Amino acid sequence: MTEAGLQHYLDLAERFQAERAAGAPAWLRALRQDGIAQLARQGFPTTKLEDWKYTNVAPISGQAFSPVRTVHEAGVEAAVARLALPGPGPRLVFVDGWYVRELSRLDGAPVGLTVRSLREALQDGESLEAVVGHRARAEASAFTALNAALLEEGALVRVAPGTVCPEPVQLLFLARGDNHVALASPRVVVQAGENSELTLVESYVGAAPGVSFTNAVTEVVLGAGARLTHLKLQAESETAFHIGSLHVEQGRDSRFASHLISLGGALARNEVHSAFAAEGGECTLQGLYVGHGTQHLDNWTNLDHAHPRCTSRELYKGVLDDNARGTFHGKVLVRPDAQQTDARQANRNLLLSEAAMADARPQLEILADDVKCAHGATVGRLDEQALFYLRSRGIPRAEAESLLTHAFTTEVVGAVPLASLRDQVEELLARKLPGVKEGWA
Amino acid sequence: MKPLLSIKDLHVRVAGREVLKGIDLELMPGEVHAIMGPNGSGKSTLSQVLSGRETYEVTKGEVLFDGGDLLSLQPEARAHAGIFMAFQYPVEIPGVGNLHFLRTALNARRRTQGKEELDAMDFLQLAREKSKLVQLDQAFMQRSVNEGFSGGEKKRNEIFQMAVLEPRLAILDETDSGLDIDALRIVSGGINALRSPERSMLVITHYQRLLEYVVPDKVSVLAGGRIVRTGGRELALELEKKGYAWLGQGAGGKEARP
Repeated sequence: MTEAGLQHYLDLAERFQAERAAGAPAWLRALRQDGIAQLARQGFPTTKLEDWKYTNVAPISGQAFSPVRTVHEAGVEAAVARLALPGPGPRLVFVDGWYVRELSRLDGAPVGLTVRSLREALQDGESLEAVVGHRARAEASAFTALNAALLEEGALVRVAPGTVCPEPVQLLFLARGDNHVALASPRVVVQAGENSELTLVESYVGAAPGVSFTNAVTEVVLGAGARLTHLKLQAESETAFHIGSLHVEQGRDSRFASHLISLGGALARNEVHSAFAAEGGECTLQGLYVGHGTQHLDNWTNLDHAHPRCTSRELYKGVLDDNARGTFHGKVLVRPDAQQTDARQANRNLLLSEAAMADARPQLEILADDVKCAHGATVGRLDEQALFYLRSRGIPRAEAESLLTHAFTTEVVGAVPLASLRDQVEELLARKLPGVKEGWA
Repeated sequence: MKPLLSIKDLHVRVAGREVLKGIDLELMPGEVHAIMGPNGSGKSTLSQVLSGRETYEVTKGEVLFDGGDLLSLQPEARAHAGIFMAFQYPVEIPGVGNLHFLRTALNARRRTQGKEELDAMDFLQLAREKSKLVQLDQAFMQRSVNEGFSGGEKKRNEIFQMAVLEPRLAILDETDSGLDIDALRIVSGGINALRSPERSMLVITHYQRLLEYVVPDKVSVLAGGRIVRTGGRELALELEKKGYAWLGQGAGGKEARP
């Protein structure tokens, strides 16, 4: 990381703040200003920081990524048709971080569900002061700070109490690629009212190969008894950069499930910060990261058991080939009051080449005494016995390896509770892990 | 008639220790030949070497299958040539569907034979028919390979696979181990149904019990890495009565090694 790199982003944010100041409410100006201040104070993280030990962000901070105002281009429409999930339900489409109304689908939302562009909501004067920046704190990370400093566009998803949404909501973030060295800073804000139910899909994909940087922040607040399933597909081109953080606050007896599929990017980091804000919540965090070439896929989770009788289940699996590196850092904090916590965490890594690397760092801090906590982490290669068994039946070695590799991924892919996304992921995996015949699942 | 399998002076080392010390054995087409022996005599090593396990080092001797060199072939090529081993400990493979696995295996072999591959529907038909041989429930075929199967179900699954793949040589490695009497009957019934003049079987077992159901043409006793005696079915009965010690020097397994 060079100073010039940080300065570029600070200048960018200052200009942005000045241009947008007129018409912006005071709280939003303050939030952006705080983002600038935090970014200036922290600088971009270095590998000397514990939380960034394995991930060097110099390739991002050293490049002058800037917001690129999108124009409607041929090709984008086709990419949306190709990459959007089939099926009904509201869909917002963003190109290089900008909301594109013509490509979005706003009908199909049941009464009680609001899905709209965050920028439009702010322009309409929706009261979002208590919501935006509530969970995602700029002081937590330079990238969250940068997102706050450039905060303008994204999505607002509100589910009224008791509303059950039968169809998933999809947010499709498309990087145009080609020569657009674009910085996208979407902010997604989700409010799930008491006893509401929703499935939300965030897809980050590329229309064409290219170098882009997506710095996304999602904030979720679940009311008492709410159920939210959050599905994220992070599959941009392998020259793109992606830093994304998901911040969740769970109300009493709420259920939250996050399923992350991380396939794209030269460097990608997906963070999940989940906190129980009341008793009786359930949280499931699942992730699959599949890297090849020189991809670097960083997974970072932080589960805060702050209240009693909450349950968390965490499973992250990684497949790394060639010179790819995958990291998993899983923090679980069980605070003194969080009695009868039931927390389980597992991280499994499969290395397909000599040079591939995986770092597994479970980090449990347990301060209550009446709890059930378990964790396990493995880094290994394909099971030789299973390989021999398959070959002894006549399946050639390469095909057997591919069968076993896919079998390793099915635990996480199979748990994705949305068939259309599962199909898409399986198709992407079949392309990424070669030698696979149709119908391997 | 030429032998289907011909093992000549086979010496095999495992982790630096010589386990097989000169095996000679011939198996004619359609012949069922039982290999008996105490624990540690080299029975399982023999079956693993024949199926192509790479952790075994052949230091001397040769194995001809249908007149061609077997030992230079990869495990998958041996399967394509018509060799099938029923594992003593079938491997659980979570995430790989039993049917998909078996169709992949069958089609891989059919490709090498220049035959058209079976599609999912045709294969399902075939699998249903073959599964009746060992009374394997449809539900098992849909599950992951051997995952959560009981000992008996795993062995039935092995014989089911054999029925689908139709090998020329089946090596049954301690197929009777871990089976209760009902499962043993079912598994033996499946094996017997697959006996034919074109299919030879090498039945490796510690106990005579399986041979009451699958009656062999010949019985050889392996002890201390060598075949110490070959005879008819009566040899198995004699062993059952007298134990392996009766065969004397070199036959007592580990204890008898010099």
